[in-house]
Amino acid sequence: MRRRLRLPLLAAALLLGIAALLLSLAEGPRPAQARAEPSFPRWLRQGEVERVRARRTLPVSMPPAPAPAWASGDEPEPPRVRDPFLLALPRDPGKALVVLEANALRHSRLGELFVECVMRKEGRDPFEEARREAGIDPLKDIDRVAYTPDGIILFGFLDRARLDAIPSRVLSRGEHGRIYVPDAEDPPTFTLGTWRGQIIALGKPDFVESTLDRLDGSTAEDRVLIPEYLTYGEAYGVVPGAALQGLFRGEQAELGARIARAASRIELHADAMRDVAVVARFSGADEAATEDLGTALGGALALGRVQAAVSGNASLAELLEHARVVRGAGGFSLELALPIEVVERWFSGCAGPGSPPAGP
Amino acid sequence: MMVLAIAQDLLAEARSRRWVLAFLAAATLVLAAVAVGLRFEVVDGALAATRLFGGDLRSDVRSVDVALRPLFVATSYVVFYGGLVFGIVATADFAPTLLAPGRIEPLLALPLRRWHVLAGTFLGVELLVLAAALYGGAGVFVLLWIKTGVANAGPLAAAASAAVAFAPVYAAMLATALVARSAALSAGSGLLILVAGIVAGNRAVIAELFQPGASRAVFVGLTAILPRLSSLGRIGAAVSADAPVAAGALLALVAGTAVFALAILAIGVDRFDRKDF
Repeated sequence: MRRRLRLPLLAAALLLGIAALLLSLAEGPRPAQARAEPSFPRWLRQGEVERVRARRTLPVSMPPAPAPAWASGDEPEPPRVRDPFLLALPRDPGKALVVLEANALRHSRLGELFVECVMRKEGRDPFEEARREAGIDPLKDIDRVAYTPDGIILFGFLDRARLDAIPSRVLSRGEHGRIYVPDAEDPPTFTLGTWRGQIIALGKPDFVESTLDRLDGSTAEDRVLIPEYLTYGEAYGVVPGAALQGLFRGEQAELGARIARAASRIELHADAMRDVAVVARFSGADEAATEDLGTALGGALALGRVQAAVSGNASLAELLEHARVVRGAGGFSLELALPIEVVERWFSGCAGPGSPPAGP
Repeated sequence: MMVLAIAQDLLAEARSRRWVLAFLAAATLVLAAVAVGLRFEVVDGALAATRLFGGDLRSDVRSVDVALRPLFVATSYVVFYGGLVFGIVATADFAPTLLAPGRIEPLLALPLRRWHVLAGTFLGVELLVLAAALYGGAGVFVLLWIKTGVANAGPLAAAASAAVAFAPVYAAMLATALVARSAALSAGSGLLILVAGIVAGNRAVIAELFQPGASRAVFVGLTAILPRLSSLGRIGAAVSADAPVAAGALLALVAGTAVFALAILAIGVDRFDRKDF
């Protein structure tokens, strides 16, 4: 038996569609088409796995340190040939260590905007002076930079660096290392070390010495702070919770101490190839406290988003649009992203001395 | 014409059963409560200060209509939401009574299509509510005008908005009554549409509470078809505050709300056609 066509229901469906269309018109112009989710750096991606492999250029005789218990099973197998830059990095878990993939950042959209801005502001090429004086091109010759409280480590094509122009004594350290001790200071508070024309370490004397010693293989193989499987993104690093504590002073000191206790280790990764996406992974010994911190942070972000929307604070709303807290085993991740359109708008205000002021 | 005849019949029925009287009495009671309950001496004092000092008692000098805007805005919201809730409670019994055994059969025996009965009932109740809303809105308008000396059309706009907003609410109540002949269920469905409409009117802000992705898309998708009742409520407030109202958006909002009500009525017609009495 044929079923009767239910015309009223058909009409209802049609009318609901028309109602939705009319009501969306009442809301004003349609919001921009949902853009693709920013690419959050959460693990090694294919290109980065290849990058890791290509960087293994230094044969080592000692076995590598075992992977920590919290490492996932996706990391590349322990190599016999190591990345000299990672080998050189300090291993004190009590100090912050952040690495910038300088060359990758230079060729990211953010890097392009930054260089354009600097050129426009100065009205000339400010990097030319560095090329002339130091003999290295900061935009081409530096591949990676590591920052620690004790000094910095540069990696790249540094064999043309004009280090002999520095008034200093030159000491040998290991098979390939040289240390430049400035003549002006005795005892020196600052030295510069080089290794094979690939690495330059600047900082406290013991920092420079230990860096060269690690490259020489003459120090014990401690657990590395940044193993290969954490070298994803254009910036990455590890910050101890205690470093956060320093950001809170006065009446807020107790709050800082509590946060430091709840998050004793913060692992950072930033992707800047298009959108600027940052993942900060918080972990701590007290899992309940870490979870509470994550929940509180997530709540604050949600509240901030609504507050920004209600108050019409477009900049804050854009910043918080992709902000969220993702819980995981042993901690949580705070994810923040800035769409490239927002970054471009920020840089549009970067005008040179003779340039007209940019619009909003 | 058949629909109008049914609507007229409902209004006559309402008059004979003193529904209209009850409506007017209730609206008057609310007006009296507003007149007595509002601390007009505060308003009077502000007005006296304005007259005496050229401004109110604060350091910034403002005109009376600007100083009293918060009062008008609040009143508009009271008229809008109060009117809607009052309408739901007052009309909850209409449809179940009309569909009661012994009352519906004579109607169905007439040479009418069933949708005529439904549309006529809907139209009759809408007219009744519109009249009550305008009576209440006009009453508040006059009360405030007399007490403050400022004629602000906000309460009138709020009353008209409430009548528009009541269309999808009553359509849902009518459709529910066809499923289950219960005044409580009918009122419940009306309140549900009211709450959903408030949420839909604030969907842009509420959507921010959801993570971007599937959950936000589901929320935005579900609320897309719902009438933005809180947006309608803001019209009275905007008129009260002398804020601009975009004519195009207003037209789309009213039309969308009306079309949504028609869609719900169509679902009711489908149910009514298939129901045995």
